[in-house]
Amino acid sequence: MRTLPALILILFFALAAHAQDGEALLQRIDRNLNPESYESYRKLINIEPDGRTREYVLFSVKKGNDKVAALFVSPASEKGRSTLRLGDNMWLYMPGVGKPIRITSLQSVVGGIFNNSDILQLDYAAEYAVEKQEETHDEVLLHLKAKTKTVAYDRVRLWADKKKLLPTRIECLTEAKMLIKNIYFKEIKDFGGGIVRPSVIETDSPLYQGYRSVMIFAGLKAREFADEVFTQANMPNLEALR
Amino acid sequence: MKRIKTKNSVCYYPRRFRDWAWLWALSCWLLGTPSQGEEFTFDAAEFEKKPYHFGGYAELRPVLSGLDRDAALHRLRFFAEDGGRTTVEYNGRLQIEGDLEQGIGRAFMRLNSDYDNTAAGESFKTTVYDGYLSLKPTPNLTLEVGKKSLRWGTGYAWNPVAFLGRAKDPDDPELNLEGFILASVSWIKSFSGPLQTLSLSPVLLPVYDGFNDDFGETGHLNIGGKLYALLADTDIDLLFLAGGSGPNRYGFDFARNLTPNFEIHGEFAYLRNVRKRFLDATGLGGEREEDTLSYLIGLRYLTEAETTWIVEYYHNGAGFNREEMESFYRFVNRGYETFLATGDASGLERAENAGQGGYARMNPMRHYLYLRAGQKEPFDILYFNPAVTAIINLADGSFSLSPEVLYTAVTNLELRLKTTFLAGKRLSEFGEKQNDWRLELRMRYYF
Repeated sequence: MRTLPALILILFFALAAHAQDGEALLQRIDRNLNPESYESYRKLINIEPDGRTREYVLFSVKKGNDKVAALFVSPASEKGRSTLRLGDNMWLYMPGVGKPIRITSLQSVVGGIFNNSDILQLDYAAEYAVEKQEETHDEVLLHLKAKTKTVAYDRVRLWADKKKLLPTRIECLTEAKMLIKNIYFKEIKDFGGGIVRPSVIETDSPLYQGYRSVMIFAGLKAREFADEVFTQANMPNLEALR
Repeated sequence: MKRIKTKNSVCYYPRRFRDWAWLWALSCWLLGTPSQGEEFTFDAAEFEKKPYHFGGYAELRPVLSGLDRDAALHRLRFFAEDGGRTTVEYNGRLQIEGDLEQGIGRAFMRLNSDYDNTAAGESFKTTVYDGYLSLKPTPNLTLEVGKKSLRWGTGYAWNPVAFLGRAKDPDDPELNLEGFILASVSWIKSFSGPLQTLSLSPVLLPVYDGFNDDFGETGHLNIGGKLYALLADTDIDLLFLAGGSGPNRYGFDFARNLTPNFEIHGEFAYLRNVRKRFLDATGLGGEREEDTLSYLIGLRYLTEAETTWIVEYYHNGAGFNREEMESFYRFVNRGYETFLATGDASGLERAENAGQGGYARMNPMRHYLYLRAGQKEPFDILYFNPAVTAIINLADGSFSLSPEVLYTAVTNLELRLKTTFLAGKRLSEFGEKQNDWRLELRMRYYF
């Protein structure tokens, strides 16, 4: 009779250790993808089924687990707009409106398939818990579950290169496990400063047949920022960081 | 530099319709020209920061209006002329902005030039909307002096706590507005825990002859301020303005996301000793002084089908009640009848003065509801965003209804077609506006 509780205890600790391994692995993937605090330029390209495109260029800064801001540099109609994310809170500042307004993670300030949470992406480990981990010959698959209801995707399946510990593909799913978006990580590049990571992220969605969006990274480098950079009051002044 | 290849696509030239080639070329431009064997490149050096920036937009805005010849405000404006049943106006706008940045300092200027050709004649006016110097010695501290538009408040259509700003047009609330000359300091501090951000922004606003003299009573140095906190994922502002150019004002606003797609916001403004001038139906004027409370409660909701709803209720404590507005309209009508019978326009002139004093302003009454539903790219029509907006006067049941479509297929070109229908009984706010309907095309090019 004493063996059953002992087995349950062993199983519990084994599962907990497995989850801890998964969490640690996810954190390493996050760090390999971005330094904890960094700046970068990104070009976002929305591609329509007939090949027409719309391009945006953003300057982005991130600090820690929960602070991201992005400034539109191009085109002229968007220049000066900025977005800020503090944890689950997101704001959009438009020079015409003159004050930040709250936006949601599900909207998209640029249209296309990337939504606001893709553009203002936090660390995966900050938003998701590892439920399950599988391994193949050269890849590891992490089954992630959103930590709160405010996260844009309830479930995520993340495939990562086992050696490089960099993501190769992500599936974003609803609570009912319906696929809503694929994200592909391509073209690994050495950005300098020890940052070697995919420089192109591409996405498509079964909900938007024929449409694609592409994000190209440049000028990614570690940089320290004061916390006050990531405040509503500083949204009109992000240009000063460039 | 990275290159990505996409599928081939070509904007074909239709040989059988050579004569129509120009039309095809125009449609290709308007709809966006598909790329041919496209390669995406990104060289961040192209977007390297310069110490200066220059940009803005040019806009053309023709408007066709259907006049309500029996409406009080039509009589007030056109009593001396036969304006016909419709009127056409041509408006143009050039808004130029530029800044220069050096170290911790930045100079910013925004100029707005309006050309209007309306039934009232031609006019051209250039205004400095913003022109200020800013110093940011540390990430926590910003000092600003000059002309600046401060947009306080969390409401979309109205902002009762915008103590230092001009009233925005709820029909077009995202337009830039002219600022006031002021000096301000902004101190920010971030924290970890439920209180994430705290900022304090005191403001000095001088009102003297030739210096912000359209703000209020001259000869006063006014002081205002805003204390902002991001507390438990809620934006909270405490605001005040005092100094003698207007009533002392105290305000509070908030905004919070209840779920990722559902936001609520609100504003409350308490004004001491507001002086309000009013007219009765015989034209006898009066003035009373009272404390007023104005407030706004609103929400934004994004549906799964990507329809954005904005709903706001606005209580304008300083507004006129229904009897006061009806008295004003009756006085206008009496003045108009006197003018027709005798040619004496003095009554209408008094009404005109009263109108400028408040009766003919935007939303002069007390209870309003704002409803806006905007659909993102319905039926898979890209860059096509229709919306419909209703502004309802809850006191008299009159309303304006504005369907619009926004089309942005060409980068930096924005086309907006908007119609507005005004409806209401006689002696109601929207029933007595000078127009029954408006049709407006706004063509704006950003550079």
